[in-house]
Amino acid sequence: MTLLLSLAIAMLFGAGATLLMKSDLIRIVVGMVLISNAANLFIMASGLSRGFAPLYPLPEGALVSDPLVQAMTLTAIVIGFSITALLLAIAYRAYLDLDSVELDELEEAEEREESEQEKEWRPF
Amino acid sequence: MYNVPTVRNTPTIRRLEGEHGSKQNRKHLELRFSRSQTHPPEDSPLTTLAVILPLALALVAAPLTALAGTIRTAWTAPVGVATAALAFAAVLWGWAFAGGGSVDFPWAPTWNLRLAFELDGLAALYAMLATGIGLAVVAYASKYLPLHLEHQNRPDTDIPRFHAFILMFMGSMVGLVMAQDLLLIFIFWDLTAIASYFLIAYDVHEEESRYSALMAMLVTGITAVLLLIGAMMLYVEYGTFLLPDLIETAEPGIYLTAAAAFMAIAGLAKSAQVPFHFWLPRAMAAPTPVSAYLHSAAMVAAGVFLIGRVYPLVQTSQFLLDALLVIGFASMVVGGILALSRDVLKQLLAYSTISQYGYVVFMFGLGGPYGAAAASFYVIAHALAKSALFLTAGAATESSGGETRLSHLGGMLRQQPLLAASSGAAAAGLAALPLTIGFFKDELFFEAALERGMPFPLLALFGAILTLTYMWRFWTGIFLGEERGESRPLPAAMLAPITILGVLTIVGGIFVAPFASLTEAAGMVSFNAETPISPAYHLDLRPVNLLALATFGLGALVIISRPLWAGAAGVFSRIGEVLGPQRWYDFSLTGLNKFSDRIHWLEVDTLRSRIVAILIPLGILVGAGLLVAAPAEAGIYSVGTVESADIPLIVALVLTAVAAVAATVPRNHLTLVLVLSASGFSLTAVYAFFGGPDVALVAVLVETILTILLLAVLALMPSAVLKRSETHGSTPGTKRRAYIVGGASAVVAFLGVWGALSRPTPEESVAAQHIELAPDAHANDIVTVILADFRGLDTLGEITVVGIALLGIAALLSRGRLW
Repeated sequence: MTLLLSLAIAMLFGAGATLLMKSDLIRIVVGMVLISNAANLFIMASGLSRGFAPLYPLPEGALVSDPLVQAMTLTAIVIGFSITALLLAIAYRAYLDLDSVELDELEEAEEREESEQEKEWRPF
Repeated sequence: MYNVPTVRNTPTIRRLEGEHGSKQNRKHLELRFSRSQTHPPEDSPLTTLAVILPLALALVAAPLTALAGTIRTAWTAPVGVATAALAFAAVLWGWAFAGGGSVDFPWAPTWNLRLAFELDGLAALYAMLATGIGLAVVAYASKYLPLHLEHQNRPDTDIPRFHAFILMFMGSMVGLVMAQDLLLIFIFWDLTAIASYFLIAYDVHEEESRYSALMAMLVTGITAVLLLIGAMMLYVEYGTFLLPDLIETAEPGIYLTAAAAFMAIAGLAKSAQVPFHFWLPRAMAAPTPVSAYLHSAAMVAAGVFLIGRVYPLVQTSQFLLDALLVIGFASMVVGGILALSRDVLKQLLAYSTISQYGYVVFMFGLGGPYGAAAASFYVIAHALAKSALFLTAGAATESSGGETRLSHLGGMLRQQPLLAASSGAAAAGLAALPLTIGFFKDELFFEAALERGMPFPLLALFGAILTLTYMWRFWTGIFLGEERGESRPLPAAMLAPITILGVLTIVGGIFVAPFASLTEAAGMVSFNAETPISPAYHLDLRPVNLLALATFGLGALVIISRPLWAGAAGVFSRIGEVLGPQRWYDFSLTGLNKFSDRIHWLEVDTLRSRIVAILIPLGILVGAGLLVAAPAEAGIYSVGTVESADIPLIVALVLTAVAAVAATVPRNHLTLVLVLSASGFSLTAVYAFFGGPDVALVAVLVETILTILLLAVLALMPSAVLKRSETHGSTPGTKRRAYIVGGASAVVAFLGVWGALSRPTPEESVAAQHIELAPDAHANDIVTVILADFRGLDTLGEITVVGIALLGIAALLSRGRLW
């Protein structure tokens, strides 16, 4: 099970890293989602025990899943989600201002803008 | 574990008066070194005060002066002079009347750090120089600086900065020389570097000043790290930073040699010894009083002080002593010859300083009681003479209306008789003529060389001849020869310090006893044993006198034969300019700058390169960690067990992973989002099979919202924009690169995660306590009670993040206007 979990986490992370290398902002956001999913699963998998849900009344003599990592995973999921939302908002803002969500195009647009500002700039 | 000494035996120098003093010189009081177990140091209020008072006065001088200067510029100089005078008086009192003393407070006890200060012989010598010459320099500057600023059309409000930094220099020197804890020494060491940086760059509008200041800062600052490394090496081995303890417990060997060598290199760089000498002539860009101070009693003196302070550690290794001999002699020769070829007054003096501190390092290298004590004596004699000469250079320049070159000055003897006489005394002192304190410095120097045997007396003779020659050039160049233009009268406050220093040089040549006793006390600290020296005039033909006579005779010959060697000295200095270490400094500085620019552009050029810049070092670090840990943890990787109940979990896991990998394939954004949510929803199933209903429920919720959000953003963007983004830049090359990076990341992540998950389960866990305590918190859901109660602060942090993200999103969507 340890090996399988590690493999799954590594695949999630690798897929996320691959998407990060793309030049499409949406894909980069998706890559970040996959990486945070990998992190969440890693936290969940690092629990010390696995068994029944940690709810009272507890079953007699049986293993109960580690509640601490679950609490941490919950926190991580929520934080990951807010970051994703923020990233999407940035992508949307980029589209609104520069009419593109493609990195190279964005960079060109940025340089254009900078050189225009430079042109307007006068020392005194 | 660390061998932390429990009993501290502070070496104390105590004054024994009366009956004990009768045997030897009764004129000066005898100093004794006491280090016995049965006589712990006396901590009377007087000895404590003898340390605290000078230290405190020296340290408050700078802030007080800066404060006075900000209130009213005109108050700067008087307050500065008064605080320097008080500090000097306190040091004098603390040593000569209270007899020194020590204080020792715990600082960071867990690291065995102590605020340990001691006014011992070595500290007293350098503290007197720092405060005494500091006083002379501040007094001189009170008149010099307004003139200097007037030349440059700068406002008077620049004055307080100068005085404050020079007094900060003084304060950190006093702290440095009294500190007994290596870390304290390091801190004060760097404080002097900071003060010198601001002083050298005092004329900030000149590029030369800024360049020189940076050079001094870099050369002395980078080597200062070696001091820290040496200190840490000793701490790791012996568990203490306290020098007296280290001297007692450290055992000779390669380890100690390496640590002492690091500290010695820091000292050599600060003392501008070959090959670090190039920063010192550059530092002449500073106003003259700064140069005078820097060369005689502060910065450069700090270097040889450090060597004197750690000398008991250095002298355990003959190799280090020999290295000091070589470096000292090289500096002596390089500095001396270059001094002969310089035309600018301050440059000549700067190279002379390199040469003179070369003598000191040479003497430390000679070793033996004479070497250690004579080195300290040399520092006093040099400080008195050199500070007077620098102030003379400044005075001559001021008086001639800004002329700095030797070839354009001359004949000032008639116009400035007092200046000529005082600086003549100082020059004679440096050139070691009889009836000056300098004669004894060379006497001891020759004595130390003779003690070591041939060929060292000949090397010493060579150095002494060089000194005599360039001092003759300096003094005659200014004061003899034909008059060049008119000479303006100088204010008394500028002449007085030079005269006093000149008189002291002569006084030291007649009443040498107080200087000698101070030197013996200082030598005792360096040598860690008694170092009796007896400088005196002997009217016979003993070897020392023969060497002195040879110096005068051969020196006169060299002076007369100047046309024969002037060309050769010039060629030597040209070679130095072309091949010297300054070129290497410039080369490495520009190289580093370019390298840093390259790295910077690699990192921040595009978003992709930034991601790579994070992923690659991460992979390297994790990989290196695995490699290091691999041999010890080879057996730790476990495959784990699979039971039939786990099959649903495995199915969900496979779905999650496969869907994630599949997400890298599609072009279409809609497909991408759907594949992503397939992976995400499978993951919620994994959570559910993991026995985490709370997590699964939240994950379902979040996945749903996320999918809607992604689809909504896609719906808001025109398909043309999305299409462009899908197709642009997706060549086979970039695709391949993305998969290579992704695959490599996956491998590193796999190794790291597998290693972490394979660790054995500990016996006790926090979770068990949480489960036990949950009913007390009136909850049945343990995860909820952890989130809301046991680890409530985590949740608070989480809510804060969500709040900040929300604010960010709102700001982004409303073009930065939130209301």
